[in-house]
Amino acid sequence: MLRSVTAFEHAAAAAWVAIGEQLRGDARGYARRIQAREEEHAERLSTLIRELGGEPPGGRPPEEYAPQFARMHNEDEALRFAADLEERLVRAHLHALQTLPGADQRRTVAEIAAEEAEDLAVVQALSGEPAAQLAFVTGT
Amino acid sequence: MTGEEKNLLARREGLALLIGGAAAGALIRPRAAAAQPSDVEQLERLLVLEHRLASLYELALARDAIDPRLGRTLLDHEREHVRGLEQTLRARGRRSPRATVPPPRLGAALGSRAGFARFAIDLESETVSTYQEVLATLRNTRLLLPLGSIMTSSAQHVVALREVAGEDLLARP
Repeated sequence: MLRSVTAFEHAAAAAWVAIGEQLRGDARGYARRIQAREEEHAERLSTLIRELGGEPPGGRPPEEYAPQFARMHNEDEALRFAADLEERLVRAHLHALQTLPGADQRRTVAEIAAEEAEDLAVVQALSGEPAAQLAFVTGT
Repeated sequence: MTGEEKNLLARREGLALLIGGAAAGALIRPRAAAAQPSDVEQLERLLVLEHRLASLYELALARDAIDPRLGRTLLDHEREHVRGLEQTLRARGRRSPRATVPPPRLGAALGSRAGFARFAIDLESETVSTYQEVLATLRNTRLLLPLGSIMTSSAQHVVALREVAGEDLLARP
């Protein structure tokens, strides 16, 4: 499960580069910062996997991820893709929580889940929607 | 699916998981692990924080210290969190604790909307950190998903409050 979430974080970092290319101004700045956060998440999860004696998956070249991304021709489409991506990341981390036995591992994944929820709220705000919409943010 | 339908679905899912998880799992502290708080104690700790936030938004709305639309949304969310935690605790035969003392510095924070938002950011951030502590040590793993979904909601409250405070949306403590 941790390997799969780590691979997802690598893909998300690549996706945010593509999303950022469609955005302008402040939104583009947030895209760069969220992309950096996804890379940091992948690194934190890789450390956890190594501590558990496993080998984390590495990132792939951006062109290998690109065919998996939604088509984005403008800012609205990019933000819709970003919201979908972050919803899935929230869900993946909440589900990963249930598979982890150690307190340190669970804490790390809980911290990352909170950051993904923040990223989703930022995307919602950039889309002109309320940043906080649900009492229970489970992701999709 | 409309936003309202999505909200309803997430709320049902969160509450159902919270209640179902509590009913299914053993929440009582085993003797061998007496040094660590029991799951019930951890849930009570979270409930106190959620009551505190609900009271905070009620007061802010009454004093016009928050945009009414945002204030009502956040208050509704806190009430949902309280309801879920209370039902889980009731299923274990526990009474719900209530926060009766307002947090310090509240009076000054109600003086302006930006000031209140910054004050609320601190309390919401403290609540998110407490959820993370609880999620790390909870014994009943069936509660992890529903409690996690409250934590993620609270993390989004922080972003909404940063927005009205005119702060960077991704600011770090």
